[in-house]
Amino acid sequence: MPLIIKDEYPEKLFRDDGKRLDGRDKTELRPIKMEVGVVENADGSAYLEWGNNKILAAVYGPREVHPHHLAKPDRGILRVFYRMTTYSVFERKRPAPGRREKEISMVISDCLKPLLFLELYPGSSFEVFIEVLDADGGTRCAATTIAALALADAGIPMKSLVTAVAVGKIDDELVVDLSGIEDKAGQADLPCAITWFNEELSLLQFDGEMDLKQMEKFLSLAKTALSEIYEIQLEALKKKYIDIQEEVSGGNN
Amino acid sequence: MSFKDEEQVINDDNQEEEEEAVNTEEDSELDEFEDEETTRNLVVPGEILTTDTKTYLPGRGTLLTHDRSKIISLNIGLKQTKKNYINVIPLRGFYTPRPGDKVLALVTDKNPVKYRLDINAKDDAILKPKNTMKRGRMSRGMRGGPPERDNSNTEMYEIGDILIAKILSADRLNSPELTTVGKYLGKKNNGIVISIDPPKIPRVIGREGSMIKNLKNLTKSTIFVTQNGRIWLKGEDIAHERLLIDAIRKIEREAHTVGLTDRMTDYIENEKKKRGLN
Repeated sequence: MPLIIKDEYPEKLFRDDGKRLDGRDKTELRPIKMEVGVVENADGSAYLEWGNNKILAAVYGPREVHPHHLAKPDRGILRVFYRMTTYSVFERKRPAPGRREKEISMVISDCLKPLLFLELYPGSSFEVFIEVLDADGGTRCAATTIAALALADAGIPMKSLVTAVAVGKIDDELVVDLSGIEDKAGQADLPCAITWFNEELSLLQFDGEMDLKQMEKFLSLAKTALSEIYEIQLEALKKKYIDIQEEVSGGNN
Repeated sequence: MSFKDEEQVINDDNQEEEEEAVNTEEDSELDEFEDEETTRNLVVPGEILTTDTKTYLPGRGTLLTHDRSKIISLNIGLKQTKKNYINVIPLRGFYTPRPGDKVLALVTDKNPVKYRLDINAKDDAILKPKNTMKRGRMSRGMRGGPPERDNSNTEMYEIGDILIAKILSADRLNSPELTTVGKYLGKKNNGIVISIDPPKIPRVIGREGSMIKNLKNLTKSTIFVTQNGRIWLKGEDIAHERLLIDAIRKIEREAHTVGLTDRMTDYIENEKKKRGLN
């Protein structure tokens, strides 16, 4: 007998003690874990666990463009393939890339483009493959964050990393890093990404309702959360090399 | 000299000759990993290297920001200050062909007018038959008559052959062009080819070739290191070759650490005892 699950959302998204359903404060992030160099045959790769999200990213390039007609004679192209596995969400996701996946691929690609020097690699392509193994809200932000890390791990010259986080409104309160249920049942959702070399927004999407005054507050909330995630990103990127350095110096002493 | 003599010279795998080849090739680049002023400071893309833009200039792997207020890194690598230049020596990256580089190339395709070779770069390289053999002096005739016509065929190499070639021309837009006429260039008939990360090649060579000399002496083998991240090696027997490959893998892994040459000497001698080699 098939299991039938109704889309039921709780009436309140805050517990009686004022915390969110998963026990977080309003500005608290879910636990984040990142690792680079996980896919051996890729030029660069990274893995991320962000709350219940599990995402794998692999980077290849520069290499020839296939199909060839996509190649640009004056610059390289960045192709992002954001895909969700069939088992990543509650109800089986059909494996063919849908409207949502194509949109997110484009959004991430546009978000990463200002970081790269694509004009130095005419006729070639950089390809980023993002596979969402487990999804629980905010995968586009998590995917952007991890894609930047994988690009850096591949040794592709880039101006800086990019970090993304979603802020939103649930039960008339502003919160940071929406989980899956808050995303669906909440009032507003605003994913944003920052490029650190100029500290400008590289991605800003919005869904829901809020007034302009709240927007300012939203972005300042996002900024603090983004710097927090940026620290984790940097640490993950350096860890691969620092571990070896420590292992070697430890062996000598 | 006839064609045949030239070919023999090319294929002669003389150890002394190859050592010389490696040592004279890229002296300027070899120093970078071992330079005393190279700090072991790991930097990541976007990290601010200095805000003092009056005294320092942006070197390799760095960028002066648009408002000229700071120099930032573009790569994950090691920070190095040389005179008043700030450089970042990358730890990961890809090979970009440059004219004059010697590369280990694999013949992947051929047709009657050209060979196509994989050189571990973005584009396949092109090798034309006129660049595979020295033009015979006699064939032009006493008064410099028309060149010989029957040179144009691609029978010299087969698909799957491994060649040491030199890059004649390379730019962003066109496929690189190779030649196999010259000292040490030509087909390799034996040995093993392994690939490592191209930015770590200078570390395998060491300062003024110290690392590679060390490896050669300790494992009694012949090595040819090329800029595209490939290493050709041949030892006395398979056991020595395996030891050498393990050693190169260790160098690749620990390329960003201090005192690597000494540590490699210890490592090889220990491993030799363990494996019962002499």
